[in-house]
Amino acid sequence: MDSPAANAAFAKEAKIKFPLLSDMNKKMLTAYGILKGHDVQGDTYEWAQRANIVIDKNGIVQHIEEGDSAVNPNNALSVCTDLHKKQSAK
Amino acid sequence: MNRTLAAALLLAALPASALLTSTAQKTEQVAKVSLKVGDAAPDFTLLSDQWKTVKLSDYKGKKNVLLAVYVLAFTGG
Repeated sequence: MDSPAANAAFAKEAKIKFPLLSDMNKKMLTAYGILKGHDVQGDTYEWAQRANIVIDKNGIVQHIEEGDSAVNPNNALSVCTDLHKKQSAK
Repeated sequence: MNRTLAAALLLAALPASALLTSTAQKTEQVAKVSLKVGDAAPDFTLLSDQWKTVKLSDYKGKKNVLLAVYVLAFTGG
């Protein structure tokens, strides 16, 4: 949940060409159910867990990967590649 | 067909995370993504790093979208 300014600095440093989105008020994370509660020193804080989600051209969810394995984007990327091949073949 | 493929990939991913979460207690703490494969993705509008609004529905009919939720990208740990 970094700010747009923080994301811009990161995008520049890492030469990232795709949009980096900020969900400062957690609206998308809430809608997608990605927030996770953490108990820290008796208080509960919510922050997102890592997740990769592939949505096809029709707005339908095609792939969900969450937790530690979602650090690696290869599964999600292969879903995207397969989707693209199928759509190109039509 | 797409759905079958994605579901198979999802199931393949689950055993790996199950191995990482060694206790049942830890598994319960992990919130479940309430979306399922085959669901319509909820639309959202968010600010990009260029301070432009990006809507998921802007891509409808044009591009497939890969959302990577990446927390604490800046931290060293």
